[in-house]
Amino acid sequence: MSRKQTPLRPYFEKMPEIGKQLREGEIRRSQANVALVREQEELIAQEIQRVKNAGIPAEKVHSRGGMTIYDRLEYLVDEGTWCPLHSLYNPTDNEEGCTGVVNGIGKIEGKWAVIIGFDNKVMAGAWIAGQSENILMVTDMAKRLNVPLVWLTNCSGVKLMEQETVYAGRRSSGAPFYRHADLNHLGIPILNGIYGTNPAGGGYQGISPTILLAHDGANIAVGGAGIVGGMNPKGYIDEEAAQALIEGTKNFKGKVPGRVETHFDQTAYFREAHDTEQGVLDGIKDYMRMMPAYDPTVFRVAEPAEPKYPVEDLNLILPANQKRPYDAIQILARLTDNSEFMEYRPDYGREVFTGIAKIDGFPVAFIGNQQGIFPGYPDYAKGEYPGVGGKHYREGLIKQGEFVTLCGRDNLPIIWLQDTTGIDVGELAEEAELLALGQSLVYSIEQTDLAMMCVVLRKGTAAAHYIMCGPQANNNNTFTLGTPLTEIYVMHGETAAAASYARRLVKEDAAGNDLAPTLEKMNQMIQDYQDKSRPAYCAKTGFVDEIVSLPDLRKYIQAFTGASYQNPKSITPIHQMLLPRIIKG
Amino acid sequence: MPELVAPIAGNVWKILVSVGDKVELDDELVILEALKMETPIYCDDAGTVTEIKVKEGDAVNEDDVLIVID
Repeated sequence: MSRKQTPLRPYFEKMPEIGKQLREGEIRRSQANVALVREQEELIAQEIQRVKNAGIPAEKVHSRGGMTIYDRLEYLVDEGTWCPLHSLYNPTDNEEGCTGVVNGIGKIEGKWAVIIGFDNKVMAGAWIAGQSENILMVTDMAKRLNVPLVWLTNCSGVKLMEQETVYAGRRSSGAPFYRHADLNHLGIPILNGIYGTNPAGGGYQGISPTILLAHDGANIAVGGAGIVGGMNPKGYIDEEAAQALIEGTKNFKGKVPGRVETHFDQTAYFREAHDTEQGVLDGIKDYMRMMPAYDPTVFRVAEPAEPKYPVEDLNLILPANQKRPYDAIQILARLTDNSEFMEYRPDYGREVFTGIAKIDGFPVAFIGNQQGIFPGYPDYAKGEYPGVGGKHYREGLIKQGEFVTLCGRDNLPIIWLQDTTGIDVGELAEEAELLALGQSLVYSIEQTDLAMMCVVLRKGTAAAHYIMCGPQANNNNTFTLGTPLTEIYVMHGETAAAASYARRLVKEDAAGNDLAPTLEKMNQMIQDYQDKSRPAYCAKTGFVDEIVSLPDLRKYIQAFTGASYQNPKSITPIHQMLLPRIIKG
Repeated sequence: MPELVAPIAGNVWKILVSVGDKVELDDELVILEALKMETPIYCDDAGTVTEIKVKEGDAVNEDDVLIVID
């Protein structure tokens, strides 16, 4: 009789259960918290709607018989798998109110892909300010996850009125072509569905991917037909030149270059040409079926299972009041399969938890901040002050460094749950080597070749935001999520105001001057910190890659985990893993 | 007679009940402030508040009785 099982079953099939059901009273008293979370969610939803409405109305595209980028994505991506990213990203605050590309992670024909398309409602998919940085983040993501990049190209090229914001520079709109070459070189395929007119920069967007599929009305070319005049020798446009331009434009009879007749029929760059927009998307689906992907069985250590406790509880558990502590393990229990967690060194470095959990049956690592007050800890404080959750101390930093290193050895993708106020400061902290241990954790992260994702549950503050695999971990951080309760700043506004103005207050006070003007400046600074640390601001500036509702966190964690295990570049045989054995002892 | 005690040393920031109030399990009764953090103190049984032994602004030590519930 044949027998089958998942690997290392005694460790993974049933792991220690965590969390507990919320009591009636806990639910009752947390309703105000839910209202505050919903308030922030509503603000984010309004912003997302604004971005979706950018450019010409969708109805106008539909009346021409076309599809918007959102229609295309809906048709292309497997239902229920789309995890949008960078929805509100607009770092230069351009007049379009978005970067003109729509992107995220989703499944196509059952396989994970990083997917990006030009918003054809916004200047016919022009290059606009902030866009290239968005595209670079997306190409980085495909590289980190080693999954296909799918492009829906519909790009009219440079917004000529603002060429200086997109054309030149190290990370400008030309850089993605090098990234595409890099992905191809690394064996990461790029599938490209091409629509509309794509001249110049749009042409390179068209030609640079691996597989090109075109709509019958599409074209890609070195330059567009619209450029009817060359350099004006006068250096300016006068009435005479304007008339010449008018005549030239009116009499222009040429066809747009780079049409399907050229690049399908003659050069054969295009693998397929389709007379419907949906046909192009069907072609991408066909190619996605050919893309490399392991069956999940190869890496699963158990059957997938939902958490034992509802994800909706997260809105009750995570306090909107940033000064309130909570039980971080109760959060984790709403994210992991069957609410199980195998904790690494729970009695050492109490301010952080580290350990292994399952997501959809795949083994992953979690690291996060504990909250609350820890009397008698850290040891090096010798009772001078107690430990506070969200801060990092010597033991916690050592534990995280060890754990990350072992995860690298065991090839476990890491999910960081940040809610941190910083690393302990002061003479005792320096003697306890916290400066070096913080950087040592950075080194531990960097020396792995692991995909990691970061969730800033509430606070991302000071260097602790960096060392817990914030987006600064360019080579490992696949994406960073914020929540409706996220605040990211170097320090709290009041602390910053005190640090900036304390000496001035002393001076003014000694001179017998009115303190009011200084106080006004301090309070303005506090307000400014508040305004520039809120979720929508974090998303707009790229502090995070998306603001996600708390119950949606598990969906993104599933996407990250599934994509990480789709086609990993390095494998640790599960039966040879060390971490589960170290935890067991 | 159940007593609600301070789990940590700190200052009493807010008292959310008065003597005679009926309270239920998990109601928030007192908020302590320590180390820039708020520590809410929840009721661990249903009953009536019979005595409040502290006032807002008081400094309390760990295990000090804050409220008596009958």
